[in-house]
Order: sequence, then C-alpha cells, then structure tokens
Amino acid sequence: MKRQLAYVGERALLVLISIVVLFPIAWMFLTAFKQPRDAYSLSLWFEPTLQNFITVFSHPWNLGSMVLNSVIVSTVTVAIAVPCATLAAYSFSRFRVRARKFLFFLILSTQFIPAVVIVLPFFLMFRQLDLLDTRIALIIVNLAIVTPFVIWMIKGFIDAIPQDSEEAAMIDGASRLRVIKDIVLPMAAPGIMTSSIFCFILTWNEFLFALILSRREAVTLPVGLVNFRTERGDLWELMSAAGVMITVPIFIMALFIQKHFTRGMTAGAVK
Amino acid sequence: MQDRLLPYWLLIPAFIIVLATTIYPLAHSFVTSFRAWDLTTSRRPEGFVGFDNYIYAASESAFLNSLWVTFVFVITSVALTVVLAMALALLLRRKGPMHTFTRIILILPFAMSPALIGVSYRFMFNPEFGVLANGLGAVFPSLQGVPWLADPQLAMGILVLTDVWHWTPYMTFMCLGGLASIPKETEEAARIDGASNLRIIFGIILPQMRGVILVMAVLKTIFALKMFDQVVTLTGGGPGTSTETLAYFIFNVGFRWFDMGYASALAWILTLIMMFISIWYVRMLLSERKMATA
Repeated sequence: MKRQLAYVGERALLVLISIVVLFPIAWMFLTAFKQPRDAYSLSLWFEPTLQNFITVFSHPWNLGSMVLNSVIVSTVTVAIAVPCATLAAYSFSRFRVRARKFLFFLILSTQFIPAVVIVLPFFLMFRQLDLLDTRIALIIVNLAIVTPFVIWMIKGFIDAIPQDSEEAAMIDGASRLRVIKDIVLPMAAPGIMTSSIFCFILTWNEFLFALILSRREAVTLPVGLVNFRTERGDLWELMSAAGVMITVPIFIMALFIQKHFTRGMTAGAVK
Repeated sequence: MQDRLLPYWLLIPAFIIVLATTIYPLAHSFVTSFRAWDLTTSRRPEGFVGFDNYIYAASESAFLNSLWVTFVFVITSVALTVVLAMALALLLRRKGPMHTFTRIILILPFAMSPALIGVSYRFMFNPEFGVLANGLGAVFPSLQGVPWLADPQLAMGILVLTDVWHWTPYMTFMCLGGLASIPKETEEAARIDGASNLRIIFGIILPQMRGVILVMAVLKTIFALKMFDQVVTLTGGGPGTSTETLAYFIFNVGFRWFDMGYASALAWILTLIMMFISIWYVRMLLSERKMATA
C-alpha cells in the first residue's frame, strides 16, 4: 500500500514537472495561432489562424529579414568557429605544447568575462569603422563567446578517441595532417556536429550584442521581439508568432542531439 | 622541423580569434575605464582621470542599488536552482518511460532564447489577460488583481522564476552526470540494511555529490551575475530600479547615457567580482580533489 502510494506520487510529480516545463512554451504556441480577440480573452477554444505569421512577415514587421540575419550570423559564426576550434582542440588534446596549461586557462577564463564588458569597446570600434548595424559586426562579436566554448567541448570529444589507430597510421608514414583529416575528423564527427549545434543555438539566441550593435539592417530574431512593444501596447499574438519562429528550429536541433546533450552540456559547463 | 611546429600552427587561428575578440577589447575597456569619455559631447576620449570613475561608483546610489539587486537575484536564483536540480535529478535517475519523457522535455527550456523567456513570462503575468495572473487569481481569490510586474518584490520574484525555469534543466543534467558516477554499492548495502530513502539521500548520496554541487553553485553564480536578457524583456529594470541588475545598469550607463569611461569602469568591477569568484572556485575544487585522493 505504502509502496503503491509512493509509485503514484512519483508519477504525479513527473506529470507536474512536465506541465511546469511545457506550459509556458505551449501557451506561446497556442497564442501564435489565435486571433487577437482570443489572445486577450484567455480562451482555450478558438479558431486557429495563420494570420499572425502572415502579419509578422509583412510590412512593417518584416520578420523575414530578421530570419535571414539570424540564419546568416549563426551559420557564418559556426563556419568560422568550429574549424578553428577543432584544430586548436586537437592540438590541446594530443600535444604537450609549451605553456599549454597557461594557454588553455587563458582560453577558458575568457568565458568568465561578462559580455557587457566586451561589447563596449566593440561598439566604439565598429562606430569608428562604420560597421555598426552590420552582420559582420555581429559575427565578430559572437565569435568571442562561441570559440572558447567550442574548443572546450570538442577537446572533450577528441580526448575520448583512442590514439592507437592514429599512431599506427603514422608508423605507416602518414603525416599528421593526413591523420587528422582521414582518421580523427571522421571519428570526432558526431562530437563536432553536436558542438556545432550548440554553437548555433548560442548564437541564434544571443541578445545583448545584437541589441547594442544593430539598429535596423542587422537586427536578429530575439531583438526583433522588442519591436512588438508599441505605443498601443504589447502585440502578444505577433510576439508569440515571432517566438515560434525563434523556437522551432532550435527545438528540432536540440531534440536531434538529445542523446549527446548531457555530455555536451557538462563538457561545456563553463559557458 | 615542420612537425615540431605543427601543434602551434594548429592553435594559431583560434588564438587570433580569442586575442582579437576578447583580449584586445578587455585591454581597451581597461584603459577606457581610467578616462573621461562622454560620447554625447566628444567623439574621442577626453583624457585620463585616474581612479575617478571607480571612486564615483562607490558613492553613486544607482550603482549601489544595482549591486544590491544583483546580490538578491544571485542568492535566490542560485539557491533555488541548485536545490531543485538536485531534487529533480534524484527523481529522474530511475529508469522508466515517464522518466525518459520528462528528461527529454527538460531540454526545451534550456534551448530557448532567454529574451523570449522574458517576453513569455511578461505575457503570462499580465494582470488583465495573462494566463498565470488570471489562473492564480481564480484558484486563490486573494491573488485576484495582484499587479505582478508592477510590484518591486513580485517583479523580482518573477525574474528569479524565469531564471530558475531556464537553468534548472541544465543543472539537473549536471547532477544526473554526477549521480551516474557514484558507485552503487554503498547505497545498495544501506538499502539492504533497511535504511530509509531520506537517510540514503542525506547520508550517502549528497556527501558524495559535494564536488558537483559546488561546481553547479559557482557556475550558476557566474551566469546569474551576467544575467541581462530577461531584465530587458521582462521588467525593463523596473518597477523603478527594483530589478536593475549590474549588467543592465552598465548597459544603461553605456548606451543610454553614453558615459563610456564610467561604463567601462563598472564593467571592470563586474569582471573583477567574477574573477574573484572563479579563482575562489578553482581553489575550492582543488582542495576538494585533494580530499578525494587523500
């Protein structure tokens, strides 16, 4: 009897946790498909509509250009950070580089620096160089956040690969670069993939840099949310539609790497 | 010869990025923090003022307020997140379809944009048509018509809530990782001897989790110190300045008042606080490790 009670209690607790986690997300998704009058009346029964999505993609909201900005900034950041980080991670993992501890600590310690410190000088520099409100500016600054994080993560994955086959190939006369290309990269591919997705998520959700460094042209999706606060009040149904656009690609990616998630998160625990 | 230098060549691209995007800006803002530089009046820095910016901070009530707000936020959100994550991990470590399902959906809050989390909670706590404001009012009549985000304490509470909602899943996964690495034998032996669940948790599991809990607490402290996004989208620092955290205050000084010298000094104060905590954390970890091997 007591055991049964504990069993039921545990299941009930799990259901409760799931509701607490899912409810805010579910409510946003529902609101995105509501007509304004339903969004403001708390009704659970409503006629779903796609009108909000049509509205946010048309003038004056132009969410399409923000989607494009977000996609370009995140993709290019990943495309620069991940290859550079992979090479560095391999070096840290396999060689006893001089001052290795110091260099590694230097890279890690940059993760403890608040973003607001970095953005002040960048704002001044980009103003000087006429780069404010460009995607290039956002990519450069995002690299600051993402690169150390990805080095740290990918190093964890490379450390886990046994070195035997690398050594065997080198005895057979293969060069280091060959070994990296033909043996390490294929074996580390799932880890590098996971790290890339993490890197993409970080950049995609980044808010502070984009808020400060973009005005009209380079605005990304999270900053675009702020636009839906108007003099007429907050336009919740449009905000929710934009929220769905931000969330869906990230959720798909997160669930895709779900198995590696725990490991990746604890490996990159410093970020 | 070429092979001997290879390890360094491999490091160079990443190092150029780190130097250009982190080390250089840091040095730049350090120098700026000793200057007077009001962007509204001058395009160029206006000369060195020594420690004036730092001294001014120590006497400015807006800064001291943001320090206090940050302190309250950090303490409450860290304590809640760590305790909840530990409890959740203890619940979720068992195997079962419902456990797996809950673990999978726990990924979602962490993948969500913090700015969007702020927006969503603002919507749900809107006193007129917010689902949580109205739902709570319907269940507890005394909560009807409570101006959730217009009350300083409640606004801080909701800010903490969004942060706990965002970070508890991540910390739960860290705890699950820690739990998985604890040897099972002692626990099983205690269970056979008839020890209660509570005694097993507090007598056997938690002591072995000390290291993980310490790491979590310090990491969460650092994340909480930097917290910015939800302040902008949830409360805007208000009502008044009741939720104006240090990061948000620095943002205001830099990009509303355009006082670059003062903002840089404040940014360095935040950096120093975080460095201090990180160093203290590394030392704690090292002594923890020594204890484990001894």
